[in-house]
Amino acid sequence: MKSAANKTARADGQTERSGEAVMGGETHEAPEVPEAPQEQTITFQALQPGDEGPGSTAPVDVPEDAGDTAPGGEAADAASAGGSGGEGASAPAEDLPRVEAGEPSDADAETTRPAEQGRDAENAGGGAAPEEASGETVGDLFRPAHAVSSGAAPGSLFQPAQGLPSGTTPRSLFQPAQEGSSSGSPGSLFRPAQDTAVEETGGSLFEPARHDRQDTRNATGTQNAPDTGDATGSQSLQGAGNAAGPLDFGILQDVHDTWDAWDTGQTVPDADDAPATSPAADTAVHEEAPHITAEPATEAEHGPDDDLAADSVSPAELASPAAAEVQEDAIAQEDTEAREDADVGEDAEARVGAEAEPDAVASVDAEARTEPEAPAGTASRHDPAWPDPVTRADPESGADQLRRVREVPLPKPVSRALSAALAGLRDSVGGVRLGLEVPGVDEARKAQTEILAQIQDYVIPRVHMSTAPALVAVVGSTGAGKSTLVNTLAAAKVSTTGVRRPTTGTPVLVCHPDDGEWFAKGEVLGGLVRVDRPTPGSGLESLVLSSSERLPPGVALLDTPDIDSVEESHHAMAQRMLDAADLWVFVTTATRYADAPAWNLLRLAKERGARIAIVLSRVPPKSRDVIDKHFARMLQEYGLGEVERFVVNETTITAGRLPEQEISELRMWLTELSVDDQRREQAVKATLDGVLNSFRSRVPALARHMEAQVALRAELRTDVDAAYMGALAEIDDAFGDGSLLRGEVLARWQDFAGSGDLMKTLHLRRPGRQAAKSAQQAPARLHALRAALRSALEAVIVSAGQRAAEEVVLRWRQRDGAGERLADTPGLGRPSEEFARRVGRTVGAWQEHVIGLIRSGGVTKRSVAKLVGFDEEALSMVFVMGLLGYGNSDVAAVSGTGTLPERLLRGVLGAEALRSIGTKARSDLRARVSVLFDEETFRYVQVLDEVGIPDEAAAKRLYQATYNLEVAR
Amino acid sequence: MSVSVRAATTEPRNDLGHRLSALSKIVELGPGRVDPALISEAGRLLLRAGDRLKLSGEHTVVALAGGTGSGKSSLFNRISGLELSPTGVRRPTTARTHACVWGLDGAGPLLDWLQVQWRHRFARASALDRGESQLHGLILLDLPDHDSIRALTDHEADRLIQVADLIVWVLDPQKYADAATHTKYVSELAGHEAVTVFALNQADKLAPEELAECVVDLSDLLKRQGVQHPRIVPTSATTGRGVNSLKSVLAESVVQRRAAVQRLEADVNRIMVKFAKVMPAPEAMAVQPTVDLARQEGLTDALCDAVGVPAVGEAMENVYGVRSIDWVGWPLARWAARLRPDPLNSLRLGNIRDEIKTVTAASVSAQPAEVENAVQALADVLGSGMPEAWRNGVRDAARAQLGKLPEVLSKELAEIAPSLDRVPRWWWLLKIWQYLLVVLFVAGVGWAGAILAYGVFKVGQAPADLLGDVSTLPWLGLMMVSVLGLGLLSAIASRNFVVLGAGAEREQLEREMRRRISVVSKEMVIQPVEQELGRYNEFFAALAVARR
Repeated sequence: MKSAANKTARADGQTERSGEAVMGGETHEAPEVPEAPQEQTITFQALQPGDEGPGSTAPVDVPEDAGDTAPGGEAADAASAGGSGGEGASAPAEDLPRVEAGEPSDADAETTRPAEQGRDAENAGGGAAPEEASGETVGDLFRPAHAVSSGAAPGSLFQPAQGLPSGTTPRSLFQPAQEGSSSGSPGSLFRPAQDTAVEETGGSLFEPARHDRQDTRNATGTQNAPDTGDATGSQSLQGAGNAAGPLDFGILQDVHDTWDAWDTGQTVPDADDAPATSPAADTAVHEEAPHITAEPATEAEHGPDDDLAADSVSPAELASPAAAEVQEDAIAQEDTEAREDADVGEDAEARVGAEAEPDAVASVDAEARTEPEAPAGTASRHDPAWPDPVTRADPESGADQLRRVREVPLPKPVSRALSAALAGLRDSVGGVRLGLEVPGVDEARKAQTEILAQIQDYVIPRVHMSTAPALVAVVGSTGAGKSTLVNTLAAAKVSTTGVRRPTTGTPVLVCHPDDGEWFAKGEVLGGLVRVDRPTPGSGLESLVLSSSERLPPGVALLDTPDIDSVEESHHAMAQRMLDAADLWVFVTTATRYADAPAWNLLRLAKERGARIAIVLSRVPPKSRDVIDKHFARMLQEYGLGEVERFVVNETTITAGRLPEQEISELRMWLTELSVDDQRREQAVKATLDGVLNSFRSRVPALARHMEAQVALRAELRTDVDAAYMGALAEIDDAFGDGSLLRGEVLARWQDFAGSGDLMKTLHLRRPGRQAAKSAQQAPARLHALRAALRSALEAVIVSAGQRAAEEVVLRWRQRDGAGERLADTPGLGRPSEEFARRVGRTVGAWQEHVIGLIRSGGVTKRSVAKLVGFDEEALSMVFVMGLLGYGNSDVAAVSGTGTLPERLLRGVLGAEALRSIGTKARSDLRARVSVLFDEETFRYVQVLDEVGIPDEAAAKRLYQATYNLEVAR
Repeated sequence: MSVSVRAATTEPRNDLGHRLSALSKIVELGPGRVDPALISEAGRLLLRAGDRLKLSGEHTVVALAGGTGSGKSSLFNRISGLELSPTGVRRPTTARTHACVWGLDGAGPLLDWLQVQWRHRFARASALDRGESQLHGLILLDLPDHDSIRALTDHEADRLIQVADLIVWVLDPQKYADAATHTKYVSELAGHEAVTVFALNQADKLAPEELAECVVDLSDLLKRQGVQHPRIVPTSATTGRGVNSLKSVLAESVVQRRAAVQRLEADVNRIMVKFAKVMPAPEAMAVQPTVDLARQEGLTDALCDAVGVPAVGEAMENVYGVRSIDWVGWPLARWAARLRPDPLNSLRLGNIRDEIKTVTAASVSAQPAEVENAVQALADVLGSGMPEAWRNGVRDAARAQLGKLPEVLSKELAEIAPSLDRVPRWWWLLKIWQYLLVVLFVAGVGWAGAILAYGVFKVGQAPADLLGDVSTLPWLGLMMVSVLGLGLLSAIASRNFVVLGAGAEREQLEREMRRRISVVSKEMVIQPVEQELGRYNEFFAALAVARR
């Protein structure tokens, strides 16, 4: 309470100081922090507002603002004040530890006390799990500090706090803020806010706003630059930022992002009040958060020194109102709905403010006016809503500061591009369909699921939230003592141990209690159901979450299933765990260190560039040196000599744990990781880079396989076509070379011609005597000839179809893998059952067609028609005989001017008509046969399609996505 | 004792012999019908079985197999009672197989076959060891591991696991569930219970209750892997616990001298299981080894159609009938018909008529596509119900000579087929007879004219009495009418004869053609198909024997 009061008071007072001065003050004061953490931090916070307030830009106006807000803050009830104070306190608490970590030299004797707090704070805030840092942790920290537990909205309190503290130890302060913001705030609230904001304020507004922020960021950037360890906190914000990007606001995106950030910040309270937040909302929030941090970085790169004054202005303004809002919040006890409204309002406001800010740079006056007005106006309108808007403004400043403070590993635009690229990669990898059994398809499918799971489980969460706790996967053979090691490190029996192999069936994740939230939320290893303890039925698709105080914060241990037991599902699971881990602790034993699976894993680690530590466990003490040396040499030969190695003696195990001294080195190592953000970040980044690098080869490999699939499908398709084209050509030949005119056809023809029926097809036209008579005479033989022709044609087509079907299967069998399997589809080796019948119909139809042609063609030669009548059907038979290559066969010698049918028909129909009819009939037959074969071909295409049509563009998309990812990095 | 053992072993050896010879039959007949990998595996098994059965039956090859660090070498040393194989803490320790022989007589070739190096062979004279006489005949192998990185390039352990008579899997509490052991070997060799023992070594590292739990778990695991009745012996090479029970298990096998045969039987069983996966049960698969008559008839019919036998006959009959008119028909009637207007002439195609006549000159031939379809249909019917590979085999056998078949058929039939333009001798006679009648008629006309001229109109003096004798005129008229009548009659009669004869000839021709076709088809289609069917039956009979 008291501290809070101080803080607010100072804020007011300090507003008048110049930003630079404050800055200087901060840096100087930093060392002092340990002494009186709470107070100092408060002062810092106060100072910061001062910086901004300094109204160096518009002193006159600012006071007004300050007046409004500040009084509000002071006047605020005990509760509200306490709340704000609490925040302030918490922030400082965090600061301290960080300071220590970052600058160990500074640490005083007193550091110890703060250290604990600091650690807590870290866990809560910096702990890389913004979500987890929901109301509970945050609240806890704060409340104890000030004994102020205003039930209302701790989150809202925090944000203002963030805004304030930025000056001194920005990172630490911000982190809590971020966490708070990212934590369980429901996305639903935010989004509407964004949207409305967009609608309300035109694009013109936004742009200026952005500038403003940039300015502020620049300022922050300069400040931040020196700080190293920031990344953790800031990254989380970056991740969040992406969500905003997708909204497609174009240029305005930046602005939105920042807004989003505010939103998130504001929502924190919501989270507390209305815990029922949908997971979707959570993620949304997460995504939104990141961008913000990214931005600052870029801005930091811009001219930093420029607009300090201007920057400071906006935060100041924001900050002061914030206090007021906070109070209001506390009083109001708003509903979530109210907040939504508030959000909207805030957005609008904030933007207005933002607008004003840019102006401020240019013309102080305008700025000053707008800012004060806006809040006032809104405030008057809706009271309950009010606070939030104001808070928003605060968060803005807070966020800005956050950005400044944090060292940002991935500048925002890059990050957006990166997440877009990752999403693209995920989509295109997910879109790959590997249906054909090309050799290596199993590997490719496995690679696909692996890549997909890795992007989903690890890369995307990690890129978005680089501050999340590092996940250390403990992997190794069955019986190597993974669970025992984890139990020992956690100093609790979190994972089952025993003599049964394989022991661990359900992965177990142990982390410091403060990190629990982040993992419970489930972005990392999202596909797994979180459970409290392993249940018999849970199996592999669940993840046991437990926490232990003994684990250093910021580092989580993952006890994985084995890599080499009979349970093959375990291997896949272990693989998945590895893919999601930041560091690998590889456990092997004195009897196992030469096992092939172990070295496969090491090779994988090497390929992926994953950060790895090796634990050689169960070493008999007396042969420890021999084994250790031997193992070291093997590693050396393998190019892994540099890897950190820990040796654990074989000792008695009590309650599933090793004696503490055996693992002290390892614990030390973990603790160092935990404390030394820089190192942890390096490790995390190394692994992330390794994974991203591995995509360079893994994704193209997948793409190549995809291409192989496409090519194979094309080949298989070509096989079908080629076979049936061959059959068609065969039929063409058979129809032209007279080979059909054998056997029955020949006999019937001889019968027909030799018995004089041929001659009877022609008759002189005489009045009174009709063709009917001659038509009656010959039907038997004519029909026999027709039937013989028909069956001969059918036989040729059917046998060609049969051969084609066999050839397709033969060709498919020669294609390795897929083709063979497809060829085994029953029935493909012979024509379809319908085929013979369809052929019969086709040939019959064609014969009718030929008769029709003769009938219509016969009209042409008038001179003949006058004299001679003929029977069309008989003539068409003669025509077909001619068409089928009468002269070519062994039927008869060719005499002079052409074959018998040809001459006869030419005489009757005329040469021209005969030619055209011949062409038509032939092409018609070919067309009909093609249709038949198309139907046959369709069966194969269907079989091909059933196994999935490989998308030809998929490979290209994969390459493109890989390239995009590279560019984005 | 050894006699009784002999008696006991000969019977199963014979049984194994039958199965192995059946297996060799399968290997002989299988290629092209069965997965080549399976065939070659069976071939390897046959080779190995042959080798092993030739070599000493008095010895039992026992291999200690397991992962690195499980204590194979320690156990080996424990059992042999000597420090023969170096042990150590570095992994992997053993790189070469060590062998210890109890009773060296005749073991040399066996060890050569096992490719155990000379310097790694050790002999125990069983006489020296009291109470170990029952181990006489034991060849104990200490294998290198199969799961270390060294084993990736060295397949010695793999090779010896495949050939040893009895395998002792040396497991330890840490590694007993390794996939390297179970997936690749234990579940693969699941049917080898009689020749597999599991030694859970390093039992001293576990508390008694832990050991019990471990054994139960291992037993469950092995059952899941398909080992029905696993023999598990907890041992400790360090303390010596359990080594004696392991020894007694070994001694049991060694004394019976059956492990080699059991091992091979189990191997045959295993490969038969693989065959069972790809081949249906042989009992149901037997088919008629011959093509039954109805099917043969069906093929002949189809081929007759392809050649057009009925059509040829009909054509012959009709064409003869028509052509005979030119020869045996009444010439006057023909001449009269020629006077009618000819449409061909009006199309200026007069000469085509002759060409049409030449149409009939062509001979009989077979239509290739129809022949193919006929053969295909037969193959389809016979192959139905067979596995795909065999069905294709039957088809290929049926088609083996398909390329030549139409040609052969054509040639064969051309020999007997009548050429439609041939002219039988009696046609000439009839033609002469007809022309004779025509001449007679003409002469009669002339005579009648002369009588009319000289006798009735008295144109002049008749050169002869007969020419002027009017009284003969009625007789002459009667004669001429009868000549005309005779000509017509003979034309009709001979036409009928022609038709009748052609009918008879057609029947005979058809019969002959059919006979020849059936002969050709039997030779060129049925026989190869029956061969294939025989092969098929033989294969499945062998499969049934080998599967027993």
